[in-house]
Amino acid sequence: MSETAFTAKNITKTFPGVTALEDVALTLQHGSIHALLGENGAGKSTLIKVMTGVYRPDSGAMVLAGEPFEPHNTRDAIAKGIGVVHQERNLIPRFSIAENIFLEELSPHPLRHIDYPKLYRDARRWLEMLDIDAQPATPVDQLSVAKMQLVEIAKALSLNSRILLLDEPTASLTPHETDTLFAILRRLRDEGVSLIFVSHKLEEVQEICDQVTVLRDGRNACESRPLEDLDRQSIVRLMIGRSEQIPDWSSRDRTSEALALELDDVSTKLGHENIDLKVHEGEIVGLYGLVGAGRSELAKAILGKYEITGGALKLGGEPVQIRDVADAVGRYRIGYVSEDRKSEGLVLIHSVLENVGMTVWQRLVQGIGFLGRKKIRRHTEPFIRKLDVRTPSLEQSVGNLSGGNQQKVSVAKWLAAEVRILIVDEPSVGIDIKTKAYLHQLIRDLSNNGTALILITSDMPEMIALADRIVVMNDYRLKGEITNTRVYKDMSERIMELIQDETSPMSGARSAE
Amino acid sequence: MRKVWQSDWFGPFAITLLAIVIVGVANPSFLSPFNIQILLLAISVNAMIAFSQMIIIAIGQMNLSVGAIGGLAAISFGGMMEVWGIPWPIAAILALMIGLLAGIANGAFVAFTGISAFVITLASLSVFKGINLGITEAQPFYKVPETVKALGNETFLHPLPWLVIPAVLVAVLLWYMLFRLPLGRNILAVGGNTHAAELSGISVPQIVTVAHAISGFLAALAGIMLVGRLQLGQPTIGDDWLILSFAAPVIGGAILTGGKVSVAGTFLGVAIVAIITQVLVLFNIDPFLVQVVLGGLILWAVGMNRWREVRAERQAVAAGT
Repeated sequence: MSETAFTAKNITKTFPGVTALEDVALTLQHGSIHALLGENGAGKSTLIKVMTGVYRPDSGAMVLAGEPFEPHNTRDAIAKGIGVVHQERNLIPRFSIAENIFLEELSPHPLRHIDYPKLYRDARRWLEMLDIDAQPATPVDQLSVAKMQLVEIAKALSLNSRILLLDEPTASLTPHETDTLFAILRRLRDEGVSLIFVSHKLEEVQEICDQVTVLRDGRNACESRPLEDLDRQSIVRLMIGRSEQIPDWSSRDRTSEALALELDDVSTKLGHENIDLKVHEGEIVGLYGLVGAGRSELAKAILGKYEITGGALKLGGEPVQIRDVADAVGRYRIGYVSEDRKSEGLVLIHSVLENVGMTVWQRLVQGIGFLGRKKIRRHTEPFIRKLDVRTPSLEQSVGNLSGGNQQKVSVAKWLAAEVRILIVDEPSVGIDIKTKAYLHQLIRDLSNNGTALILITSDMPEMIALADRIVVMNDYRLKGEITNTRVYKDMSERIMELIQDETSPMSGARSAE
Repeated sequence: MRKVWQSDWFGPFAITLLAIVIVGVANPSFLSPFNIQILLLAISVNAMIAFSQMIIIAIGQMNLSVGAIGGLAAISFGGMMEVWGIPWPIAAILALMIGLLAGIANGAFVAFTGISAFVITLASLSVFKGINLGITEAQPFYKVPETVKALGNETFLHPLPWLVIPAVLVAVLLWYMLFRLPLGRNILAVGGNTHAAELSGISVPQIVTVAHAISGFLAALAGIMLVGRLQLGQPTIGDDWLILSFAAPVIGGAILTGGKVSVAGTFLGVAIVAIITQVLVLFNIDPFLVQVVLGGLILWAVGMNRWREVRAERQAVAAGT
């Protein structure tokens, strides 16, 4: 066995009223990829923050490359060899790739000329090493998300990082980009870099990681075990203390119900063409496709955000013209739970009550536009209770809640609006398994009560668990429709077939534009 | 060629050129040496005011106290010469130091309290202006040495006034610092993405303080230059700088959230404003229209920036990302 690159022993960290980490250990081998797993609130982020110098542990010790490791702050941790690629992008937008990689060491003295040709030469080495197909002088804001991420990896590695910590690196990547990233991570591992990989996607963890540490309620549920000994079910059991509950729902056929929403040969300004889609009352229609297939864009076109240029949009059988989102929500009762809850779904600095009430203010105004606080409360509180939003009070600002509870608030908002049609976009991104199961139950309940739902998700198990019918979209066109039998293997194969169908010629035509 | 066309300064440059040609044809006296001298005097002083704000825009903040610092430096300059009889070069250096210190105070407060620069500089605007009025009792200092008056108005090479020299020097140094020195890159990095800059080992409080120090220094320089030009230490110097200080950088393509400024663009922004002001005088148009036109120009400039952004996004989408 190779020697260890990093160890953490007996790490304990308490905050007022909470023990975030208790006696946690982690051993990272040289040249390996180590998965760090756990539900939201299990202590994963706290451990990362201890490793990167944001928090100092109350007790316990860390050893990095044989030496005691006690970082004073983030910069200190980086300087000592912990490279971090955060979930959110940490690049300077208008700066070149080369400048971003070498930002900390542009020149030995702040008032000495920067040698740009040398900077570009040095950067090219990293670009070649990571197979980044771009010029060093290109501003990073002209790159795709995947390439920006690789630039961040280059930046971390350029500091002679001994450990590379990747926090949900695939969250915004397409499957193809993920494969490319994994190939690079494997090569880095083979060259002796030690990586810690944080992800919610177990398939990816199983694909790429060598070892796994699972945290549950601030303790080790398992410490640095070889991943080959564990299958998916046992990992899930470690994470939540029980096996993953696959909801045992029966298949439904709602196609005989009244039509709630119908798209008839619709095309949009964004390039959707020949979209035919029917959603019945009480039905969940899954819209599956890869990132970039145009699913969220179609949802926003239905909401009136993007112009529909052809065909007809019918609600309850009647053709309608939705002018804008306010029109869609207020008049037609269509709701949209955004995939990007932080920037599109919630006002983070506002309270839970204000966020949930936002969709109903228009309807609740009294007399000359006076908004009764009590009335809002009376109207929204049942929904907040129903969703079991864990918040100290309704006055708590949403930004202080955990990711799962934020997602509940953004759903509660639409429940309060009493929508007839709800479009749910990637509902479980960044949400732990327990909350996810809860959300699934909720979505199912909504449909049982007659709400028509469109579910957009890239999570195949989620899609197969929830949808009644699955419509596959690729490259802004619908590729076909499958009635969900809820047999995972069968369904996933048929979906993949539909996606791959004609994919290559289509994408070739697009990039040639 | 395409690159030149798309650069930040091209739009303002084309407008400047067009304005000069049109106005020059319509009224040949616009291009008389005397008028050019007057124009250059205005541009030189205003450029310092605009740069003083531009450096703060670069870090994504605002400095509302630009005018108050300039005014304080101006009356200190005048006062030291008149009351204490200090020779003008020393008085100028001391006044510049006052501006520098005022800027450092702004920066240190912003950096170490975490309160927004808008609020801090709003407060310091009031403080600096109060000190100004306390010292002067709203009366100007009249005894300005002849040398200073000459430097503030006359030319060293017809029709180039002396004041052009510090203006060009500052512009070149600022450009060099922002685009060739690590200090300037750090300033723009802090404006572009503060969090990322911090994680990259850039000391954000230090950079913020330095930027405010430069801003204070340039505001003081503008104040001193204006004393020479007006030939008296007016307590009201700086009162009307605020709009111009934002207008010129924005016309020049700066983004108010930080990380992007253009030295050449800002300079041309100043030139455009100066030409418009001149034109209104030449054609006997009500000077109050200047404010209206200036407001329109700001909107136009912001609109242009927005349009460029949207187009860049579209191109990124079309490229298939």
